[in-house]
Amino acid sequence: MARGGKSAIVLCLDVGIAMSSSAPGEESPLEQAKRVMTKFLQRQVFAESKDEVAVVLFGTDGTKNNLASGDQYQNITVHRSLMLPDFDLLEDIQNKIQLGSQQADFKAKRKKFEKRHIELFTDLSSPVSEDQLEIIIANLKKTGTSLQFFLPFPVDGADGHGDTSASIYPQLHQNSPPRKRLTAQQKEGIDVVKKLMHTLDEEGGLEEIYTFRESLERLAMFKKIERRPVPWSCQLTIGSDLSIRIVAYKLTEEKVKKIWTVVDAKTLRKEDVKRETVYCLNDDDETEVQKDDTIQGFRYGSDIIPFSKEDEEQMKYKTEAKCFSVLGFSRSSQIQRHCYMGNQVLKVFAAKDDENAAVAFSALVQALDELNVVAIMRYAYDRRCNPQIGVAFPRIKDAYECLFYVQLPYMEDVRQYMFSSLKNNKKCSPTVDQLSAIDSLIDSMNLVYEDVDGETFEDLFKPSKIPNPHFQRLYQCLQHKAFHPNEPLPPIEQHLLEMLEVPCVVKERCKAPLEKVKALFPLKDAGKKKEEKTAQDIFKDDEDGPNAKRRKIEDEEDSFSIMKLAEGNVTSVSKVLKLFLSKGNINFSNCIQLINRIDQFLENRSSQYYMKGINCIRAFRGEAMKLSKVQCFNDFLQALKSKVEDKALADFWEIVVQGMIPFDFLSII
Amino acid sequence: MADWVSYYRGDGPDEEEDGEQQEEEGQEAVADHRFSGRDSLIFLVDASKAMFEPYEDEEAATPFDMTMQCIRNVYTSKIISSDKDLLSVVFYGTENNKNSADFKHVYVLQELDNPGAKRILELDQYRGDEGRVLFRETFGHNADYSLGEALWACSNLFSNVGVRLSHKRIMLFTNEDNPHANDSAKAKLARTRAGDLRDTGIILDLMHLKKLGGFDISLFYRDIISVAEDEDLGIQPDESGKLEHLMKKVRAKETRKRALVRLNLYLNKDLSFSVGVYNLIQKAYKPYPVKLYRETNEPVKTKTRVFNGKTGSLLLPSDTKRAQTYGNRQIVMEKEETEEVKRFDSPGLFLIGFKPLSMLKQHHHIRPSQFMYPEESLVTGSTTLFNALLMKCLEKEVMALCRYIARRNTPPRFVALVPQEEEVDEQKVQIAPPGFHIIFLPYADDKRNVDFTEKVPANREQVDKMKEIIQKLRFKYRTDSFENPVLQQHFRNLEALALDMLEPEQAEDLTMPKTEEMSRRLGNLVEEFKQLVYPPDYNPEGKVAKRKQAGDGQAEKKPKIEISEDSLRSYVQSGTLGKLTVSALKDMCRHYRLRSGGKKQELIDALTEYFSGR
Repeated sequence: MARGGKSAIVLCLDVGIAMSSSAPGEESPLEQAKRVMTKFLQRQVFAESKDEVAVVLFGTDGTKNNLASGDQYQNITVHRSLMLPDFDLLEDIQNKIQLGSQQADFKAKRKKFEKRHIELFTDLSSPVSEDQLEIIIANLKKTGTSLQFFLPFPVDGADGHGDTSASIYPQLHQNSPPRKRLTAQQKEGIDVVKKLMHTLDEEGGLEEIYTFRESLERLAMFKKIERRPVPWSCQLTIGSDLSIRIVAYKLTEEKVKKIWTVVDAKTLRKEDVKRETVYCLNDDDETEVQKDDTIQGFRYGSDIIPFSKEDEEQMKYKTEAKCFSVLGFSRSSQIQRHCYMGNQVLKVFAAKDDENAAVAFSALVQALDELNVVAIMRYAYDRRCNPQIGVAFPRIKDAYECLFYVQLPYMEDVRQYMFSSLKNNKKCSPTVDQLSAIDSLIDSMNLVYEDVDGETFEDLFKPSKIPNPHFQRLYQCLQHKAFHPNEPLPPIEQHLLEMLEVPCVVKERCKAPLEKVKALFPLKDAGKKKEEKTAQDIFKDDEDGPNAKRRKIEDEEDSFSIMKLAEGNVTSVSKVLKLFLSKGNINFSNCIQLINRIDQFLENRSSQYYMKGINCIRAFRGEAMKLSKVQCFNDFLQALKSKVEDKALADFWEIVVQGMIPFDFLSII
Repeated sequence: MADWVSYYRGDGPDEEEDGEQQEEEGQEAVADHRFSGRDSLIFLVDASKAMFEPYEDEEAATPFDMTMQCIRNVYTSKIISSDKDLLSVVFYGTENNKNSADFKHVYVLQELDNPGAKRILELDQYRGDEGRVLFRETFGHNADYSLGEALWACSNLFSNVGVRLSHKRIMLFTNEDNPHANDSAKAKLARTRAGDLRDTGIILDLMHLKKLGGFDISLFYRDIISVAEDEDLGIQPDESGKLEHLMKKVRAKETRKRALVRLNLYLNKDLSFSVGVYNLIQKAYKPYPVKLYRETNEPVKTKTRVFNGKTGSLLLPSDTKRAQTYGNRQIVMEKEETEEVKRFDSPGLFLIGFKPLSMLKQHHHIRPSQFMYPEESLVTGSTTLFNALLMKCLEKEVMALCRYIARRNTPPRFVALVPQEEEVDEQKVQIAPPGFHIIFLPYADDKRNVDFTEKVPANREQVDKMKEIIQKLRFKYRTDSFENPVLQQHFRNLEALALDMLEPEQAEDLTMPKTEEMSRRLGNLVEEFKQLVYPPDYNPEGKVAKRKQAGDGQAEKKPKIEISEDSLRSYVQSGTLGKLTVSALKDMCRHYRLRSGGKKQELIDALTEYFSGR
């Protein structure tokens, strides 16, 4: 906020004896008032508002104020003079403010400030002197002070007025329980208040009177932090000769929260936590080197290139100056919403107090709007910033015309991923029934109503009206921790959770369609399978392994070399081997060939090929057993083992050992 | 000292303190790499004579040139966007050979490794006419190759890499549609080998190039190529006769798509299906610098130690807490509690309802969008439901509104799911995938009120003149129209240094308006428009008169504001020191001889301490 925008708020709390009386089962007006005040101040504290707040109690036993003289301004205590609200004040209100036993004059005190609000919390049970009312009104008017009343009951018996702000959680609104009858004194008070408010503000005077209850509801949310947008002045240029003076503001930006500082757990001081950074070589001793002995480098793929800061500074891309330049114009449909980059939107206007700029700007906005085109811009915030490419599109409102600017991606930012077609895939085409179930689901969960006039819409769920739940939760926790440092965090407030839920009407309406969807679409939790191959799986004695299904047996081949066997088709292994071995030509040189082939499989180091190798070995073993050529197989294994050891394929050998007990295998291991 | 806890920066993600300041996206990307291994890509290039023969159009590059240009582009873009990926170039159909299994006519030019400057330089040697000669001299051509062996050599390359590979892909560049027409044994071997590759999860893409008489995939390659399960379009793209088109085919497949997160979309509490969330757009940043030892240029490790400044004792993470200050009070939480504050629900997308697409406000932008595609691995049947939802949303022109929690400790955000119909271009390359774009919507806190400039509407004549200007400057915007000049210059500088070039190549800055071309196109229009809107003496570049006055006023410096000790004290007591200007605060610090930093808060702290101490 600019310096002029601060306001002073005086909270005047009636602590007179009557404030403590309440209907059974209800909180006393004083407690309610205190809660409203607490909520209000909490909002101020977390919004880091610069407004100053004072608390004045009236109806106190003592008197402490600098206007007190004689019998004037008695029983009024200035509890705290104007200053920024803080947690001390919050604690005070919760714990220290107690009932006074007196009744007080009904007066507010004033102080110099630019914008003034006085909030009166009272049940109006104190006598009100009408004679001084005129003076008070005159004073308030003179100083432009606004006055708000907070009362424990509505002024007109019924609800004084509806909640004017859009209420996000109407379900919380309850009917007020019947009140105890007002005393004559209170009625008289109401009259005075009404008179006062009417005189101060002829039109909406009574709207400044709130009940405690509705205040609590409204204040339940933590206030959003108001930030005054900083204007950015520049010239919009089209080519080298046409420029229009503009001013731009950030419209949306994800607000950065305060960062957490690290503090020592014992002393709770951040100064006690120190950091030290050391550099060391990547050797066994981790030899430390001085910072001065290091230089900066960059990775260029596999290379690391020394590139000092100075050189980098000298050679790097330099933005000349701030700019907002048109590169060209494009049909608006060519800019897709999902291509928006960055985290903000700028709202661009013609410069202030420059009618010529405003006309030129207006011509641009209208022309863009009528042609349905957008401007592609180069935008640089200032000389130190990297330039952006972005789009500026027009918006025409009754009161103003503007451009919105959003960043667009550079070529380097776009990832062109390909996804399987859903259209051309019969497996996932929904049936007519399924489609109609979805159709009625969408209808039942429609959040937008067209009004009777057919032009305006009523939107049941507007995220842009919801405060960020993260901040709400953070403030709630911080506040809790401020008062109770050693307690665990409180649960999330119910009203916050409700705000994030499907509106009740919609929830009811979509029940049946959802049941239908559930019935028509078979959905099954797949549960993540973990693929783990053990030796047992691999040596399972079935021939119909995954490979078996894959290809037809190549019977037509009539040459039976062991090479062929190893070449690929594992299902035919035993068959081929049988033929092969039955010819009686199993000998050591064949084995060598087989070993070499297995070896080639193993080059690949993947379980797929391990399996091939193992299948070969197993088939060989089976046949060798049948033909009682045991020695031959064992020789083969011996040779394989030495080969495998050379290549550090211990894992493969492990599988072999686990899965296969050779005839006298132990001797080999 | 040795037992000090230390952790390394630069070597991996900072998990402790710095994690808090890290952008969420950054964490995802890094985490992905660690758990799933590296991506690898082999360019398998046909080097037989036909590849070096120019097309009828003399101007056009030869198929081989085009291929090399394309590979080079992938190398440079990988250096910028994902330099951890492994690339390799293998020729087949050469006279000479070089590969681990000694197959004939297969030449491994570059083993699988990170792309680097020297490799790019090596590729550049074989471009153009001179390149063709050099290629012939170095490698020669021989048509007696076996494609099966070439594929075998490729799979050996994958298996000889020491690191875990998550994604293995071969891109085969050729303009021969029936390489083993007369040799059924070789054809069979190639098929067998291709089958083996498929079984081991290696994807084989065909980047077929234009051939006289057309490239007929059905002759041979239909059985060879393997389509990744998640990239099945049901159609094959056309052959490429132009680099641009080849690039498009290659770019669509060069990077492995990675889901940021897989989660469930809940239609209500007990009805959900699963989706994968992807980033189709991700800001590419200049990489962080590495610290090198001056003597040897070797990278150094960075260790950061956290210790107590007073006692010098080491602080374990559990010895610290986190604090924020509000309303003059420091509020302290455990680190775990700061995480818990962000936890609302388990991850997922929770359907709120539907709204017409027209309700999505163009200016409600807060974060780059994400993309959603069905995921069968968690809930089977998801794709059908997803598809039905997509079809209906497209038909009814509605978007779905959801509450989105991406990870466990992420607070919820509201998102609009905008349906996207699949689009393929004339050459049957996918340009828009089917699915939903996830558009992030702002909360009340994210929006600001701005005061506007009163409008002074332009008249018809003025608007029409502007329309003429606009019409002259129209072009077709594409997302890949503009390169990032900052990144390009940075990498060109590095390239120049790496290759000992004298001068770095100057990157063309596409973001600069082409003023000459614009002036030429606009002719007199600008003058005419100016005459319509600006008075003759008006200069939009000049500062406003008002401003100037303010400037003059500044010349006579404001007298220093003297603040009495009493008023200062009252400022301190009410905590309103912030009202004073920095220079006033500085003066006061000087007056009371307080040492302090230059920041406003530091000045305020110093003064507050001084006065509250007395």
